[in-house]
Amino acid sequence: MDLLIRNLPFILQGLAMTLGLALATLFFATIISFVLGTLATLRFGWLRVLVKVYVELFRDIPLIVNIFFVFFVAPLFGLELSPFAAVTVGLSVWGSANGIEIVRAGFNAVPKHQWQSAAALGLKTWEVYLFITGPQALRAILPPFVGLLTLLVQATSLGALVGVNEFFKVGQIIVERTTMMEGWNPAFTVYAAVLVTYFVICSTLTWFGRWLERRLKRDRPQIRSEAAPSAAPAAQLP
Amino acid sequence: MEFDVAYLTAQWPALMRGLWLTVQVSALSIVLSIAVGVLGAAVRVLQVPVLDKLVVGYVEFIRNTPLLAQLFFIFYGLPGLGLRLSLFWSGVLCLTVWAGAYQIENVRGGLETVGRGLREAAFSLGLSPWRYFRLVAAPMAIRVGLPSMLNTSISLLKNSSYLQAIGLAELTYVAIDRISMDFRTIEMFSAICVIYLALVLTLSFLASRLEYRLNAPFRH
Repeated sequence: MDLLIRNLPFILQGLAMTLGLALATLFFATIISFVLGTLATLRFGWLRVLVKVYVELFRDIPLIVNIFFVFFVAPLFGLELSPFAAVTVGLSVWGSANGIEIVRAGFNAVPKHQWQSAAALGLKTWEVYLFITGPQALRAILPPFVGLLTLLVQATSLGALVGVNEFFKVGQIIVERTTMMEGWNPAFTVYAAVLVTYFVICSTLTWFGRWLERRLKRDRPQIRSEAAPSAAPAAQLP
Repeated sequence: MEFDVAYLTAQWPALMRGLWLTVQVSALSIVLSIAVGVLGAAVRVLQVPVLDKLVVGYVEFIRNTPLLAQLFFIFYGLPGLGLRLSLFWSGVLCLTVWAGAYQIENVRGGLETVGRGLREAAFSLGLSPWRYFRLVAAPMAIRVGLPSMLNTSISLLKNSSYLQAIGLAELTYVAIDRISMDFRTIEMFSAICVIYLALVLTLSFLASRLEYRLNAPFRH
């Protein structure tokens, strides 16, 4: 306990860094997910294949390898990325690969007659997306997207492996420092505290996601003609 | 910076040793995590008092904490309690505990699709609980739960790369280790990406074949 109080400023810095990583990643992953995910629902076969390749590639390669790849390979092409930037890129690519699937499933969950009616009324494609199917798809997209956010927060801990001083790395440093300077090993306490902190953050997010899902389900106007669109499947595991 | 094939062939045996370790750790953990999943799901479905609350807590805790922190807690933290495991078994324990939480949910999802009416019908026809489970519940639950169970198993294989962080010489560790010595970055990353992709795609393919076979009675 004394150890935690002494290192409090350091720990808070780590938490801020974790938050920064998570927000930066969320920002880029969301943009990529929505752009590519929406494009993949358009009627261009080749585009769909390209997006599919992107999704499969970055979901099937372990996330760690992905981050190391960005970290080690970018400098070879003259791109001097800071560890923070490298992790943001690696996580965004991985997160968006999962996000694209969520967005695509969200659009697929919109009943077909919505598209057909909109088209029959003479709406242009972008109008259909913006005013008709988009808002409906969003209901199916948001809850699993919050789930993805919790996975991203957890994945920011990988920043520790390439030297970002985020929350997990701070824990690691405290353990090492105490072992060397004070001659006792606080690993059990520190890592337990780290786990509990992550748990509090992530389970709050998870809880928020479930609340959002219930809420959106309750507000949905009942459509009788077709089975109500089901929520998009949750993001695949890390 | 040209692609050095000779370097890669020279390092191939080392990579294969790493791959072998990856496969061993993953296979062992997959089997154990499915065992955890079945046991945990049984506890939840049968609503064993106290224990089922513990299982819920376990699942929630694992799903809401980073695997890396769990790994460090197991490898560096548990010796503080007097539990000292080798690198290999720490890895197996960590992956089993992690994937077990997801498997519990997968198996439970499968079991819950088996309706209450079916159980009552089976019992009123005089089936014993064991025969009900074997002849009625399991065949249905497997068909529903299997895809997600296989997905979790594939994730486990990918996540075995986390074990490089504690120094287990599996595939990713070997690659990073060689990169820091020889700087043959592109060669090594291409090699392990291809190996991981081949493993994951092969498993996904086998998984889809298995699902197809299992659903044979329901195809027209």
